[in-house]
Amino acid sequence: MSTGVAADSRQHVLKVEHLRTEFRLRSATVVAVDDVSFEVGEGECVGLVGESGCGKSTTGLSIMRLLPRIGHVTGGRVLLGDRDLTALSEGEMRKVRGNDVAMIFQDPMTSLNPTATIGVQVAEPLRIHFRTPKRQAAERALEVLNLVGVPNPRERMNDYPHQLSGGLRQRVMIAMALTASPKLLIADEPTTALDVTIQAQILDLLDRLRQELSMAVLLITHDMGVIAGRTDRVMVMYAGKTVESTSTNELFGATRHPYAQALLESVPQLTTSAADRLPTIPGAPPDLASLPGGCRFAPRCRFAEPACRAAEPPLEDLGGGHLAACIHPVGGPSERQANGLADAAVNVISGPAPEPAAATGPQSVAERRAALAEAPVLVEIDRLVKEYPIRRGLGLGTGGVSVKAVSGISLTIRRGETFGLAGESGCGKSTLGRIVSGHEHPTSGAVRIDGKEILRLKGSELRRGRSELQLMFQDPYASLNPRMRVGAIIREPLLVQGSGNRRQQWERVAELLDETGLSRRAIDLYPHEFSGGQRQRIGLARALALSPRLIVADEPVSALDVSIQSQILNLMKRLQGDHGLTYMVVSHDLSVLRYLSDTIGVMYLGKLVEYGPAEAVYTAPAHPYTHGLLQAIPVPDPIVERAKRSVAVRGELPSPVNPPSGCRFRTRCPLAQELCGQAEPAMQVFGEGHVAACHFPLQTPTAGEPPHPLA
Amino acid sequence: MTGYVLRRFGQAIVVMFIVSVIVFAILHLLPGGLVRAQLGPRATTLAVHDLTVQEGLNKPLVVQYGIWAWHTLQGNLGFSYKLNQSVASLLGEYLPRDLLLVGVSLLFAIAIAVPLGVWQGYRRNRPDDNALSTVMLIFYSMPSFLLAVCLIVVFNLWTNLLPSTATNFGSGLGTDISVLALPVMALCLGNVSYFSRYIRSATIDNLLSDHVRTAIAKGAAPRRLLARHVLRNSLSSTVTLIGLTLPYVLSGSLVIEALFNFPGMGLLFWNAAQDRDFPVLLGVVLVVTLATVVGNLLADLGYAALDPRVRLR
Repeated sequence: MSTGVAADSRQHVLKVEHLRTEFRLRSATVVAVDDVSFEVGEGECVGLVGESGCGKSTTGLSIMRLLPRIGHVTGGRVLLGDRDLTALSEGEMRKVRGNDVAMIFQDPMTSLNPTATIGVQVAEPLRIHFRTPKRQAAERALEVLNLVGVPNPRERMNDYPHQLSGGLRQRVMIAMALTASPKLLIADEPTTALDVTIQAQILDLLDRLRQELSMAVLLITHDMGVIAGRTDRVMVMYAGKTVESTSTNELFGATRHPYAQALLESVPQLTTSAADRLPTIPGAPPDLASLPGGCRFAPRCRFAEPACRAAEPPLEDLGGGHLAACIHPVGGPSERQANGLADAAVNVISGPAPEPAAATGPQSVAERRAALAEAPVLVEIDRLVKEYPIRRGLGLGTGGVSVKAVSGISLTIRRGETFGLAGESGCGKSTLGRIVSGHEHPTSGAVRIDGKEILRLKGSELRRGRSELQLMFQDPYASLNPRMRVGAIIREPLLVQGSGNRRQQWERVAELLDETGLSRRAIDLYPHEFSGGQRQRIGLARALALSPRLIVADEPVSALDVSIQSQILNLMKRLQGDHGLTYMVVSHDLSVLRYLSDTIGVMYLGKLVEYGPAEAVYTAPAHPYTHGLLQAIPVPDPIVERAKRSVAVRGELPSPVNPPSGCRFRTRCPLAQELCGQAEPAMQVFGEGHVAACHFPLQTPTAGEPPHPLA
Repeated sequence: MTGYVLRRFGQAIVVMFIVSVIVFAILHLLPGGLVRAQLGPRATTLAVHDLTVQEGLNKPLVVQYGIWAWHTLQGNLGFSYKLNQSVASLLGEYLPRDLLLVGVSLLFAIAIAVPLGVWQGYRRNRPDDNALSTVMLIFYSMPSFLLAVCLIVVFNLWTNLLPSTATNFGSGLGTDISVLALPVMALCLGNVSYFSRYIRSATIDNLLSDHVRTAIAKGAAPRRLLARHVLRNSLSSTVTLIGLTLPYVLSGSLVIEALFNFPGMGLLFWNAAQDRDFPVLLGVVLVVTLATVVGNLLADLGYAALDPRVRLR
């Protein structure tokens, strides 16, 4: 770690001075990056953090001069060593790209050319910049593929990108960036599209390479946890401006800007329990085309006063190179309240801990558990199996080959309960969600809602049955018909089910808009006129229209920014309280599940490996996989993050076509022994309602049989 | 890859079988039957009976289909009483000329449209792209016969550079080229505008894609970008289109051949239709469907060759 080089300007690899980038739209000119300055030293990792639209990615693209056609760098300098990149001709700039500065992008699935082999793509920078003969370039490609930990690199060289997993593709992207040994690596959300287990591996790799090759790294991310563990210095951006810039330890230890502080607080953490209420930031980031006067954060800041709206605060040194742009910087570390904050509608960000509101506040975990234990069972998942046959050869018959998405899962969800289902992508959790919501038929087994199998119902009974369970989708952009007005979208379920007359239906729509915190004017608007968070509210209003009893939410907030995410999560909780809803939430994000769920299930390759009350599973996981998943989550605390030194879960998810014998997790488990390959572990009990299937659990099992139906 | 190719071949054979059943059915749905079609409405009952037995038309339909299919497979497509020649030998005489006309015009169309489309995509929404798009739209909106008439006016009536009829085809290479020039152009220009439009938009999609951004970040210059990272990807989505156009080009050539008096299958078909010469008509129909199936097959194989992701399916 090399902190404190900020003052030493001789060592910088990259120095950005007063960068200004504009997007010339038809209607207006938007300043996406406004007067941004920072530097990155040799072997140093500097983080750029902020929500979408804050200009962090645009800053990265401006350095590389990779802006879309409408984007222009209109001010400032980008110094790479002594050379100003903004002054170079396009031809000279080409010699810099991929040679002196390399960049890796967010989505490894689309960032590689689908029609060229890995070997050719990794070798390409050498072919471009040094006209290296093919054979030599291929040798170097092999070398870097080895360096980034691609297994069997010689065989992989002839593979096409689609033959590799997401994690491997990102390794290939990194290898490609390293081929020509650049001085600076710009990593734009390098792990956002990956699972936490793979994310930890990739971030470790980047760390190792930075140290071994003493490369300068600019890490662009929205994830405070990633920032905490991997960067030396951080710059927080908001609406195109730097709001705070300091060393990583300082930022997390003594946050000065109210925005940075609020952002840190609204991240759900593994320690946030279901009884808490997440602090949120009201509203949404401003439209860059019509910025508020004065401080850009003022409209959302609880400390704002007239002076904040009068003039834009300059970025000032508050001592020791800690820069912040605020008239009234907040004191020091923010305290996270252990128990419920005041009503989210008032949107408390920080300040003195308010008294927990006894009568109106959320129930304590114990009270909730006690109430739920009495509640009747709503959803019963019974020995559910789902296999997708694969066509081979002439496409006649299946030859018995199939993808085993769900392999015998049984559990129950009680009325009013929130059941969180976690696991890596490809573990079958979304498939299970789709079957429970009646959108797919199981291969065998059954799902009973209130004792009835929805998919066995016919005609009007089926239609009525469907109205009791609704879906909430991940992508708020794709899940609303762009040609329908919001009013019509929310009314549609009522029309389909023929509930009420015209007037009653529109009254219900207005009621739903109120409940989900949307303005009634929304009725006549189209989905594209709303932000992601608002669209997710529309989706929720639509799901609620028929007063369902069960809502299956597949990654309900993973497409949203942190500050918006917390608003939606709080809304989901409030609606549950008001309507006695039962949720099944499917997510890869264990922190989100921790905040929402009463009960947690962890799936691995089609099997349920652990199940139990949220606090038990999080505080005392019994299965090594659950433990590994929890370990892999980046925590927004530099001390905790840097103390983690080993990758919790090695390797990648095996193929669900031929799952490993015995315990399916054994191929990646640090504790695996011979027994694990021979026998499938049975569920054991680890406390009330807490079960896990492992031969060598991390907790001591308690006596007794696992409760029906988990056995 | 082998599995994919075998599967596509299997599907092509099934399609050909179904088409052959339909063609056979049409043959037998003729008013008055095949015999009446050959002998005319005034033939005696005895003559009709004799020919029926002679041709095996009193046998069960399934058996007849078997015999017909067997003959067709051997290249025996029946006999044209009007032209007093076997259909197979007629097709053998006319088909190569069509393959030449259609093949050459298609090759020219691709050779022009690919670079044009890629260039337009690269220069999208700039003046040169807009000008080219306008010209292409004019060609695209003209039916081929109108285009042919315009070409005749320009190259024959005004400038007298090229002959307006192709009746002299077959009397030496030099004449053949000059004679074919206008029909080839008439067939080709419409396709150029059609293909280049697709390639242009595929190129734009690719230029804006993440993997091209990666290539730019590696330092690739525009030439490399287009040649290595855009062309192949754009072609894979257009090759299907080109394969599917084959039957349209063939049928388009019917009109063009009639217009230029080019002695090809189009002219054969045209005359056969006027003379109610059914065996010839059916022979041509069979050839056109075969071309359609082959075109599809080639498109699928070309797609797989260009895009490695398809091979696995």
